Amino acid sequence: MTKYAYYPGCTLYTKARSLDICARKAAEKVGFELAEMPSWNCCGAIYNATSDDLAAQVGPVRNLAKASQIGDKLVTLCAACHNVLKRVQDRLDQPGNEVESERLKTFVDEKYERPVKVLHYLEVLKNEVGWDKVKAKATKPLAGLKVASYYGCLMVRPREALSFDDPENPQVMDDLMRVLGAEPTRFDFKAECCGGYLVVNRRDVAKAASQKILDNAKAWGAEAIVTTCPLCQYNLDKLRVMTDGALPVFYFTQLLGVAVGLGQDELGLGHNSGDPAGFLKSKGLL
Amino acid sequence: MSGNRQDGSQSTIDTRKSKIPRVGVFVCHCGINIAGTVKIPEVLERVGRMPGVAVVKDYKYCCSDPGQRMVRDSVKADKLERVIVACCSPTLHETTFRNACAEAGLNPYQCEIANIREQCSWVTEDKDEATAKATEIIRTTMAKTVLDQPLEPITVSINKRALVVGAGIAGIQAALDIANAGYEVVLVEKEPSIGGHMAQLSETFPTLDCSQCILTPRTVETGRHPNIKLMTYSEIDNVSGYVGNFKVRIRQKARYVDFKTCTGCGVCLEKCPGRNESWFERGLVRGKAIYRLLPQAVPNRPVIDAKVCLYLTKGKCGICAKVCPTGAIRYDDADKFVEEEVGAIVLATGYELLDAKRLGSYGVGLVPDVIDGLAFERLLSASGPTSGEVKRPSDGKAPKKVVFVQCAGSRDSTSGMPYCSKICCMYTAKQAILYKHRVHDGQATICYIDVRTPGKGFEEFYKRATDDGIQYLRGKVSKIFRQGDKVKVWASDTLAGRKVELEADMVVLATAVIANPDGVALARKLKTQIDTHGFMTEAHPKLRPVETLTAGFFLAGCGQGPKDIPETVAQASAAAAKVLAMFGNTRLTHSPTTAQVDEETCVGCGYCERTCAYEAVKVDPARKKAVVNAALCEGCGACAVACPSGAMTHKNATKKAIFEMADTF
Repeated sequence: MTKYAYYPGCTLYTKARSLDICARKAAEKVGFELAEMPSWNCCGAIYNATSDDLAAQVGPVRNLAKASQIGDKLVTLCAACHNVLKRVQDRLDQPGNEVESERLKTFVDEKYERPVKVLHYLEVLKNEVGWDKVKAKATKPLAGLKVASYYGCLMVRPREALSFDDPENPQVMDDLMRVLGAEPTRFDFKAECCGGYLVVNRRDVAKAASQKILDNAKAWGAEAIVTTCPLCQYNLDKLRVMTDGALPVFYFTQLLGVAVGLGQDELGLGHNSGDPAGFLKSKGLL
Repeated sequence: MSGNRQDGSQSTIDTRKSKIPRVGVFVCHCGINIAGTVKIPEVLERVGRMPGVAVVKDYKYCCSDPGQRMVRDSVKADKLERVIVACCSPTLHETTFRNACAEAGLNPYQCEIANIREQCSWVTEDKDEATAKATEIIRTTMAKTVLDQPLEPITVSINKRALVVGAGIAGIQAALDIANAGYEVVLVEKEPSIGGHMAQLSETFPTLDCSQCILTPRTVETGRHPNIKLMTYSEIDNVSGYVGNFKVRIRQKARYVDFKTCTGCGVCLEKCPGRNESWFERGLVRGKAIYRLLPQAVPNRPVIDAKVCLYLTKGKCGICAKVCPTGAIRYDDADKFVEEEVGAIVLATGYELLDAKRLGSYGVGLVPDVIDGLAFERLLSASGPTSGEVKRPSDGKAPKKVVFVQCAGSRDSTSGMPYCSKICCMYTAKQAILYKHRVHDGQATICYIDVRTPGKGFEEFYKRATDDGIQYLRGKVSKIFRQGDKVKVWASDTLAGRKVELEADMVVLATAVIANPDGVALARKLKTQIDTHGFMTEAHPKLRPVETLTAGFFLAGCGQGPKDIPETVAQASAAAAKVLAMFGNTRLTHSPTTAQVDEETCVGCGYCERTCAYEAVKVDPARKKAVVNAALCEGCGACAVACPSGAMTHKNATKKAIFEMADTF
């Protein structure tokens, strides 16, 4: 079984526990292993809000240096961690950027042994495992489920560093849903902003942003939304609590878990608002 | 070899063997371009001490008339045997000074340029370094110049026929101008009929005259002109030869219709059950498998698209052959190759629009009522699929609100093209005006970054659009999506400083103008220069705008860069004038600085033949010796480098000359 160094990040230990648990268990079913890297630290995402660029770089550099001592690939899951680690990795390894790269490396004790390729879990499924194999492992296909894939702003942008999918009309999660037997719906708001951290101090703005996303998904006939970002999930799910008739919002790993046959207690459905288990049962998926 | 090269007082030229020729060195200030960095008096002083230098002079602008006179007078008065002009790049003024020398009686190929501007004065601000480098450049040039032999230019005959590639308005205009001057033209068009994109347009800015009405007289004249050999549905397969004497192999695609027998009656068009994505109608309607682009097509003959024809794909149907009253259908037709010989080639390969699917957030392909500018032209055109009524693709209703998006992929280096497509501001204004003519109570909104109106009558036309009640909204569109049967447009109003959401029935994207991909492929095949975006490169951006660096190739129309109809026509006539100027000569001259073979040494290994990019060197199989066709040779020197035996040399850039230069430095 291929073993990958895995960086979960803080949110996957707290708010987004189900994103993490399902990912690890589904990975084993699909045929690879996520080995959590030792003593990881903050990915640096929260420093993006500060004016100090260096603080946002050094944290990820240390994580990448530690990962480089294990192997040449590092798997992430949270859209924000993935974004930050990949962008910093791009800065470290890009030809022509050697001077800045060396300067950044001097801030951490750990030695950066080799270029580390940061991979999103979805990239592993698509490019390392392959859709055919994933499909073969989907013993309980998500037949009949109409689902809108919501990527948010961080998954595939900026295009220079996160070039594995189209920044305006990404496909990778739609492809996964199709492979798992679900029916990905058309969706115009795949990569629009969910409101992000504005949910803290400008709830009205965040609500309006999330509302547009939910409305569009519904208008295209979606019965559920999948996402890979804890903050997107939080904002959309929060709105669901506030709005009648809003769609359930799952992590893609939860639906992957359903399809590869994880038990109901392994899906972390307690995290989602409303009655996600009831919804899945009503669709004949649990 | 001898001499101490540190103090600049010694030369490497071996004075024992031969007498050093008398060299005159002329140092140009180029205003302050050179003199601002290079200390001219110091250069003069150092050069003056070099052996063989009979005279050193400087002048503020050597290329000017008094400057050239100085060179001429000095050649005569000082009995100069070689001339070096230290100035700008030889691509600019080598010819100028060689001509001046020739007038004074010196063989022009014994005059050389020492370029002390582009790679010397322009690249540093350090005056001492620039001065030292300028001196060294002159010294190394000297090492070669003293070895220069007198050469006579090669002359070749001219085949006074022209080939024009592409029969849009650019190619048509160029062909007519050349043909009307009395020369034969072969006009090649890849589509079944001529007219290009102009045949798709409705009315033209800024005068709103109907595109068809002004184009068809030209297409008809082209089709009937006794001096124009029109080859439609044909592509250039290969071009060999050289300026004045090109051989062109043209592939005439299988049409499956005999043009001589067909009368263009159109019965087959009505009966054909096949389905075809209509390029000409921009996908708004489906065409037939047997088709012509438009009823006024020249030539007015249909062709069969073999990819969708039921008979040709499945062996079924055959209705066109059954209904054809003249028996013109030929299912066994095949591609034919035709050879033509011409002296000059005009490349008028035109443009395409950027595939708007590349602009992921604009919903193209997902929202049926988001179309591009050419598709909207078809909706406005009286000969279009809606007979000029504006009906939106999804349900055929007249749209009451239309949003036009300018710079869709233009001036956008992330997902589109970084350049301005030049024509969109005006054609969008035109389309909005025409839309209002068709739908009186309709509302047209134009989202723009800024409106550019540099052309005769353009600003007035833009004013007319705003006076007509067309709403201009300054800001880029970020997103287009469908909501119910409406199209939503997210934009910004940067004048009011706010985000706006517009609701529209239809959206028209002014997508970026790009070089026609077939034209780009042709340019690559012909090895003529293209820029990073595929537009063909002119020989000089200001002074030689319709010539290319490949002698005998001329440019017209949007293949060289986005431009409107008047500018295209003007450029096409300019290209024709260049062709005619060439045809006005009896013979063409070609630089004699070509490769030459020492047959004593040549063993016929063929390395040179494989290296040559111009097919100028061939090994004679009988004698096993390389033979250079001097008319084809561009003098690049690649064969001389490749030759293992040293038999191949380059006239006036011999190995000895190159080693002398390297040694001198």
